[in-house]
Amino acid sequence: MIRIAAVGDVHVDKDVLGRYRPALEQLPGVADALLIAGDLTRHGTVEEAKCMATEFGDVGVPVVVVLGNHDHQSDQQDALSEVLRDAGMTVLEGDATVLEINGHRLGIAGAKGFGGGFAGACASSFGEREMKNFVGTTEAIAERLGAALRGLDCDALVALTHYAPVPETLVGEPLEIYPFLGSYLLGQAIDSAPTALALHGHAHHGSERGRTPGGVPVRNVAHPVIKQAYNVYQLLSEDVDANLATV
Amino acid sequence: MTPQLDEYVEAEIQRLLTETGAVAEQGITLQRREHLLVLGGEVESAQRRDEICRQITAKFPDVEIACDIGIVRAAAPSEVEEIS
Repeated sequence: MIRIAAVGDVHVDKDVLGRYRPALEQLPGVADALLIAGDLTRHGTVEEAKCMATEFGDVGVPVVVVLGNHDHQSDQQDALSEVLRDAGMTVLEGDATVLEINGHRLGIAGAKGFGGGFAGACASSFGEREMKNFVGTTEAIAERLGAALRGLDCDALVALTHYAPVPETLVGEPLEIYPFLGSYLLGQAIDSAPTALALHGHAHHGSERGRTPGGVPVRNVAHPVIKQAYNVYQLLSEDVDANLATV
Repeated sequence: MTPQLDEYVEAEIQRLLTETGAVAEQGITLQRREHLLVLGGEVESAQRRDEICRQITAKFPDVEIACDIGIVRAAAPSEVEEIS
């Protein structure tokens, strides 16, 4: 059994310091790893990254994150990532990591993702250079995510993105902004591997549960959606012991 | 006189809340009533909620606002979901 805690869109700055700590201190008793689905900061500054490292660092379980669009706002994403790595976190962008947990190998492939929309209303690589760049950005990210997922040798495979891979978890958001919230290309990448669970954030007004066309469970763990410090998901269930009740 | 709350004003406020460094919120909803703007959504701290109202009032002093923005809870979960 593996238990994964997950949250996204925590937007840490100095005014948030201490808010998550009481819940995070319980982590080692309820989960084996913490995955954070982007928008770790408000403006993507190094100072905010240090706040993020203080709030979410040293929580007693491995922490694996991807960046979100807010983390790119100040063009300091590389320095920001370095601060988080120095704090012991794993920062994924089109690559993967494997955690040894309870005798199992948990593989996590992650990428920020990008927009473009979904079947029936998706952007095409056509016309102005800006439009081709927009779609091309998502294509390149999805390709790297798919390759990272397919390249993992593990017992349970999790995809971690900021942008959404399916429209179901966007329900509640205005339809008009779906193309800025995710892309079917991410779902296609997730479906190209034996993914057990896909986690994303970004859609604050979206819905928690969805499934890719290939049948992979998708969970929107944006903080305003789950309305608690993190959710806990159980994979490879062969026994149930718990400080938490299974639902 | 209270200005007409038309969709141009709404769009300008929506962009203000995202593009103003002190706010940087993309998840605030705006509901236009005849002479009232109702703000919704959730943010991470009371300071952020108050700053949103301050920014709108500073830029649009004649717009009356009602703030229904909440602070998103950060308690530990009591349940685990089994994925199958």
